[in-house]
Amino acid sequence: MRRLTYVGGRLALAVPVLFCIAVLNFFLIHLAPGDPASVMAGEGGSATPEYMAMLRHKFGLDQSLPMQLWHYVTNVATFDLGYSFRNDEPVLNLILDRLGPTLLLMVTAFVISVSVGTLLGLLAGTGRNTWRDGASSVLALLASATPSFWLGLMLIVLFSIRLGWLPTSGFETIGSFYEGRAYALDVGRHLIMPALSLALFYLALYTRVMRASVIEQTNMDYVTTARAKGQTERGILFGHILRNALLPVITMAGVQAGNLIGGSVVVESVFGWPGIGTLAFSALQGRDLNLLLGIFLVSACVVVVINLVVDLAYITLDPRMDV
Amino acid sequence: MHQRFNLGLRAFCVAASFALLSPGAQAAEPQRGGTMVMIVQPEPATLASYLSVAGNICPVACQVYEGLVGYDWDLKPVPKLAKSWEISPDGLTITFHLREEVTFHNGAKFTSADVQYSFMQVLKKVNPRAPVVLGDLIAVDTPDEMTAVFRFSHPAPYLMKALSGYDAPILSKSVFENIDPAANPSANKPIGTGPYKFGAWARGQYIRLDRNPNYWQSGLPYLDRIVARFIPDASTRSAALETGEVQYAAYSSVNYSDIKRLQANPALDTTTKGYEMTSGISEIEMNAHRPPFDKREVRQAIAYAIDRNFIIDNVQYGFGKPATGPISSNFKPLGLYSDDVMRFDVPDRIAIANKLLDEAGLPRKDNGMRFATTLEVNSFGQQWMRQAEYIKQALAVVGIDVTLRSEDTGAWLRRVYTNYDYDMSEPFFNNLSDPVIGVQRQYVTSQIRKGVDFVNNTFYSNKEVDDLFAAGAQEVDPVKRAEIYHKIQKIVVTDSPVVWLTEVQYVTVFNRKLHDATTGPLGTYSAFERAWIEH
Repeated sequence: MRRLTYVGGRLALAVPVLFCIAVLNFFLIHLAPGDPASVMAGEGGSATPEYMAMLRHKFGLDQSLPMQLWHYVTNVATFDLGYSFRNDEPVLNLILDRLGPTLLLMVTAFVISVSVGTLLGLLAGTGRNTWRDGASSVLALLASATPSFWLGLMLIVLFSIRLGWLPTSGFETIGSFYEGRAYALDVGRHLIMPALSLALFYLALYTRVMRASVIEQTNMDYVTTARAKGQTERGILFGHILRNALLPVITMAGVQAGNLIGGSVVVESVFGWPGIGTLAFSALQGRDLNLLLGIFLVSACVVVVINLVVDLAYITLDPRMDV
Repeated sequence: MHQRFNLGLRAFCVAASFALLSPGAQAAEPQRGGTMVMIVQPEPATLASYLSVAGNICPVACQVYEGLVGYDWDLKPVPKLAKSWEISPDGLTITFHLREEVTFHNGAKFTSADVQYSFMQVLKKVNPRAPVVLGDLIAVDTPDEMTAVFRFSHPAPYLMKALSGYDAPILSKSVFENIDPAANPSANKPIGTGPYKFGAWARGQYIRLDRNPNYWQSGLPYLDRIVARFIPDASTRSAALETGEVQYAAYSSVNYSDIKRLQANPALDTTTKGYEMTSGISEIEMNAHRPPFDKREVRQAIAYAIDRNFIIDNVQYGFGKPATGPISSNFKPLGLYSDDVMRFDVPDRIAIANKLLDEAGLPRKDNGMRFATTLEVNSFGQQWMRQAEYIKQALAVVGIDVTLRSEDTGAWLRRVYTNYDYDMSEPFFNNLSDPVIGVQRQYVTSQIRKGVDFVNNTFYSNKEVDDLFAAGAQEVDPVKRAEIYHKIQKIVVTDSPVVWLTEVQYVTVFNRKLHDATTGPLGTYSAFERAWIEH
């Protein structure tokens, strides 16, 4: 019950926070020079003042800034994210279209990096200065020092061009009209390389954090006590050390999870993956203000929720932190 | 030099082998079926080609929308939706006889009412080029279902060059009637008469176009479908061509630096044809409201200081030609181009540049520099930064200290065409199909228009040039018209309001299994109805 009230309170607090974020975003975006009408006309290479005026009127840019803000805030209050004039689509549709592929890629990368990273860190931390430690440290160093776009391109060279095992890019094979299992397999084949290139950097971070954390916990008094009590090393590791050592990993995972919805511009670009990162990037390039604001707001909502989930995970792992 | 020679040799070999092989290639029967995957870069924001002329829309939209005419390799109009036409001797009316048995993808029959509606109610109202191209068009009369008569207030000889599916798509009145043309629901689901029907658009991934079984050219198109794919990373685009996932990439959508490697791939081929009605010229614009660019000698000195061949060899990897003035040499077949102008590619050009700058009252200071200035870098890709770096070095030689400023597209356009807060900028301008449409916007006084991108932002104003452009736009006699434009080139090049660098040569990379994709001067901006894939 207490925990429910806590969650309720946090969610209630989120409303003014999100409102402030929305207003702040609005002004931040209007600070950038250039407007969507000028970019659209510029892409065409020629336009007349009448055409520009028509576009500005259509986009609502001929209204005063406070008026535009008022429209935006009232729309958001009714869960209407507005219309992307550049794309001629409601903002919500555009974001929802990208949500599936974004989550698929990001969650896959997240699961790989957290699980493998934690495991490697555990192996390294418990076998300090052995070959296990050395191998996973070298791997972590290489992984964190490799830029993901370069890794992505090298994966393409190896697996697509040389070996011909995997498609270079995209989300599915277009025009093949797969269904059911065949479709899932097809998407899976497209998912492997982007998920790997995205996972590797975070995997390295988790490995290092987990290793340090395990070593720190191993030297704690409670471990000596447990050992004096006559508990087996395996029992100490899994019953005591692991649970405590996971806390910093959870913190890190929270940070990474906050980025889940934002996608990754770099990896999405290299693999032509239809994620929210490239959508945001092209919206920025085209000064598609409504779409950008929409993406920012949805991301902000996700960050608020993830923060809450992380806090709850802390409590579960470490009851001392309970509300 | 070595590289240039190689490319020249390669071009020769390709041309030779083409000449040898073409009879055989023509003998090969086109095969029905298959999917052609092409790169479109970047993903278009909309498919409303009547409303936006952005270069990435037409490769898709021009498969769906057709124009009254197409163009052959001599840039002459050939029948499309119009079977034939007559131009009155005074140039004030053009009568089009329309093709029967043509239907739109929604089943509506194509008639003169559609032509009238497309031009008068849609293009004239919302097309960004309409005030220039269709400004003199007063009315389209429809004496019967299959005849459309265009009436003009002044002769408009350039109009016959701007009636393709790219310039003037013919829309269905049944789709557009009683709807604001700027907000038509078919903007992203185009309905036309073309060989391919709109299939699906998965944002961020692809657009699928399906074969139109009721196309008016029976037996065509050969392909079952066309897929336009969007891959943001240039290296991945090259890789997708190498693996065969993609068969066609036009408008230099792969990096120039990758082209050599792709040419070595036996499965791939390249062509520089299909851009004869685009004719991009890269330039340096100079703001004449900012001293010392108000002095003609300074602008000419900059033109002398730059080695155009260096840019072509090192920035454009051999693809391109030195530009001599405001009109592209692609207009040679029409007689409009002239290289009888002031030439800046003379052997002692550096000495001349130094002398001009001395004469302009800009002596070298203690650090060897005469004055400092800023160049706004074109935001449309990495090659422009490379070019800007070369310009900085070349101008340092004659004592001009250049700082480079690189901003994204929105900020760059705003700075250069709205705020006029710039010294020098490096845009490229497409000449398009006629000087009236693509050239005059940059040099006439009436096109000094604050807030309009890619017009006259150098404040160049010369009464004689204004009058000549006005005369050229209305001159019906081709010989007299050519003389007018030759004169314009002579005067404008001497005045040098901008420095013309190179005629940009785009490259198309395609899979050798794909045939007949480039069949005319509009290239990717025309329909692929004759393209076929070996399988």
